[in-house]
Amino acid sequence: MNQERVFQVLLGPHMTEKAAYAAERNQYVFKVASDATKPEIKKAVEALFEKKVDSVQVLNMKGKVKRNARGEGHRSGYRKAYVTLAAGETLEDFTGAE
Amino acid sequence: MQVSVETTSPIERRVTVQVPAQEVDNNVDERLKDTARRVRLDGFRSGRVPMSVVRQRFGRDVRNEVVDEVMRQHYVRAITENELNPAGHPSLEATVNEEGKDLEFVATLEVYPSIELTLPEDEQIERPQAEITDADIDEMIDTLRKQNAQWNDVERAAADGDQVTIDFEGFLGDEAFEGGSAEGHQLVLGSNSFIPGFEEQLVGVQAGEEREVTVTFPEDYQAEHLAGQEARFKTTTHKVQAQELPEIDSEFMSRFGVEDGDNDSFRAEVRNNMQRELDNAIDNRVRQQLIDALKSRNEVSVPSSLISQEVEGLKRQAARQFGLGEDFDVSQLPDELFAEQARGRVEVGLLLAEVVSHFELDADDDEIRAFIEEQAGQFEQPEQVVEQYMGNEQMKNQVKSAVLERKAIDRLLDKASVVETPMSYQEALQAAQQQDADEAEETE
Repeated sequence: MNQERVFQVLLGPHMTEKAAYAAERNQYVFKVASDATKPEIKKAVEALFEKKVDSVQVLNMKGKVKRNARGEGHRSGYRKAYVTLAAGETLEDFTGAE
Repeated sequence: MQVSVETTSPIERRVTVQVPAQEVDNNVDERLKDTARRVRLDGFRSGRVPMSVVRQRFGRDVRNEVVDEVMRQHYVRAITENELNPAGHPSLEATVNEEGKDLEFVATLEVYPSIELTLPEDEQIERPQAEITDADIDEMIDTLRKQNAQWNDVERAAADGDQVTIDFEGFLGDEAFEGGSAEGHQLVLGSNSFIPGFEEQLVGVQAGEEREVTVTFPEDYQAEHLAGQEARFKTTTHKVQAQELPEIDSEFMSRFGVEDGDNDSFRAEVRNNMQRELDNAIDNRVRQQLIDALKSRNEVSVPSSLISQEVEGLKRQAARQFGLGEDFDVSQLPDELFAEQARGRVEVGLLLAEVVSHFELDADDDEIRAFIEEQAGQFEQPEQVVEQYMGNEQMKNQVKSAVLERKAIDRLLDKASVVETPMSYQEALQAAQQQDADEAEETE
């Protein structure tokens, strides 16, 4: 995977209560490009943070449907990845890799 | 807490303080906990943000805040323990500021200089001795009459000393130049308020007459493009007015607060005022000489923070004098303008304070009250002013220092040898003014 693609795959950290709990179990949550694959994400995290990745789970988040006076519309969704690091590895400042 | 004090110059101190890491870190943790309870972050229900996230987000800010506070607290403790007497605010800089390590910071501050006082004991002080003569009073009354003169229209040619109302338009060659014209301008002939030659050429003009005046601008005229040029002015005279001095009658006197219209009591009133002015002038002169003597005998290194404080004060004062209004931003005025004057004032203040402590002078409430009453005489409701001052601790302290300064001067005067120098009223006043002018020049 070329260098350029690494930065295209990971869109940013996803910080929520659930993600904070996951971080305690060595699992970190990212927003990723909607066409990213598990192997791509694994490589991207390993390249960017220089940590060994154990496994990756991905899912597509659907955007919420919002109605207003003009009718119905929906927000754009995104693809989310749960990245489990190999035992003993941690991400210290998990703040922002755009 | 460990403190070490270095003396870097007679008035500058470097204080290095070490604070145990625990003290800072505990404080930071406590604050973070508080933040965690209050803060609202996207993705978290309020109050449910884990500490690790809070620390990541706010850790640095909170730490800076805490360190700032801790430094200030310990700075105060350090100077109290080491009995330093700081002038102005210190500059605080953290040299070691890391979690888990002892906090170390350096405070650079200026202290009040310790002054080895040399009293101007055998100094010769010149005290003007002046009597107000009848001639002086006559002259003063003349001046008063001129100030209250009326201008009456006259149907004759304008003479020197008359006031004319004119329109004028100035030409360089054939071109009218900017700022060279006005309408309805009132000009007193012989007052030398215009370019030399202008007023002279208008002498003899009649109301309604048009006259052309040719003058040459002086070489040092402030508008450079006009300096040294010859200009023609077309003038139209509307009015010629002669000065009429008011008679010394009861109406004239009542303007100066003499109601009974008696010539003698008017003269007495004028004399009183003159005497007051003279006394003030003499006081000032003596005071100034003493202060000069004190200054020349004592070298004082003046803390720059005190100077900049004084500069601020002077700026504000200047802004008020020029009527720039309360919300005028004084930082627009250049510091340099006031620096020398401020320096002088701080120096005098420090020296006098030293004199006060040297003689162990103090002022009690009665003395302060007496001083305020004396000063309040010129207000409409003196009692109120006195009460206001006495009721306000800060204002009272200001007055107290004024009283102390006066006492200090008196003490110095006791020690000095005073030479009585006879001079006339005018000379005495001028001498005082002269001194003011000298001082102003020094400070420029």
